[in-house]
Amino acid sequence: MEPISVMLDAICLASQIILESGGETYRAEETVERMCRGLHIPNVDVLALPTGLFVTVYLEDGTAHTRLVRVRSRSTNLARMDKCNAVSRQVANGTLSASDALKRLKEIYQPRSEKKWLWILASAVSAGGFAIMLGGDWIDFFVGFFCGALLQIVQFFMAQCKVPSLLSGLVAGAFVALLAQSAMKILPGVHVEPIIAGAIMPLLPGLATTNGIRDTLRGDLVSGGARIVEALLCSIMLGAGIGIALSLWGGLGL
Amino acid sequence: MNWMIELLACFVATAAFSVLVHQPRNTVLVSALIGTASYGVYLLLNQTTIAYFVASLLIGTCCEICARLMKRTATLFVSVAIIPLVPGVGLYRTMRFITEGNYLQAVTTGSATLLGLCAIALAVTATSMFFRAFKKKEGAC
Repeated sequence: MEPISVMLDAICLASQIILESGGETYRAEETVERMCRGLHIPNVDVLALPTGLFVTVYLEDGTAHTRLVRVRSRSTNLARMDKCNAVSRQVANGTLSASDALKRLKEIYQPRSEKKWLWILASAVSAGGFAIMLGGDWIDFFVGFFCGALLQIVQFFMAQCKVPSLLSGLVAGAFVALLAQSAMKILPGVHVEPIIAGAIMPLLPGLATTNGIRDTLRGDLVSGGARIVEALLCSIMLGAGIGIALSLWGGLGL
Repeated sequence: MNWMIELLACFVATAAFSVLVHQPRNTVLVSALIGTASYGVYLLLNQTTIAYFVASLLIGTCCEICARLMKRTATLFVSVAIIPLVPGVGLYRTMRFITEGNYLQAVTTGSATLLGLCAIALAVTATSMFFRAFKKKEGAC
């Protein structure tokens, strides 16, 4: 049997990665329980919240060990969640020891340098594509493409300055609305609605709302409520940003 | 002809969005297809709140089936596939009505937007719970 500290390290890190990558709360809890079964820990209690994680393991000699892990940043990173899931499965099957799992999890947890141009291109294509999907013309595609690219650059900048995520939603909404309005002034025939709506669609909390409702229905009232409030605030901030830009534009009489 | 271009744009945009959430490459095609199909259903049902619900039921079911077939988590597929349905237009229109001082319209559009978001979440959750209830063995999803 491996030392309990290594096992707890691996269990907590796996759960933390899932919570930080946008995984559901129940997934984090199930991961802990599954890994404990694989590591022959007889009894475990776990409480996962969107902002933190408590784990207590009860060993056969009657002692109990508790860990508290704080989760500070939350984003969506499906690939990381997927890899973490695979590791926890192997631990549960008994094919991976705790120390090897810890090594692999640390590798997964390492921040990767992302290809920034790929992100900017992806954001641009999705904003332009959604603009056409929502009934825009070809010119709306190009304006949307441009807006999406600039929006991603602004978001990179805000991430670098560590702007809180809710506040960056406000800035993003206002930025897109201002850009679209100016484009309408300069270029004739540009539709504002599909451009703004297309550019903010990737920022709207579709997954967060789903997770919140799922947690609430499963009986995890605290994390469900927290996630629903977060999703609501996120949409309100985005909307407020758009509203500020629109009324500024109206107030200037342009 | 118009709807074909819209659906094609939906497919391309959804696939591009998958980069922003680090979706594993081999699941992108499937979830973009599911997302496009569900947006088509949503358009066919005249874009009402119940259309959100039915389209999301389709997403939930297809994603759970694909997750079983490809032995991956359903969340991987769902989080990208629901993007075309997310009510961005509703949020924009609500804010525009508020800034125009047209509060009655704003409340109508705003509650429709909120209901749409809830309908999506509820439908996806319902299918996922349904599938879990009939799960054959532990750890399959």
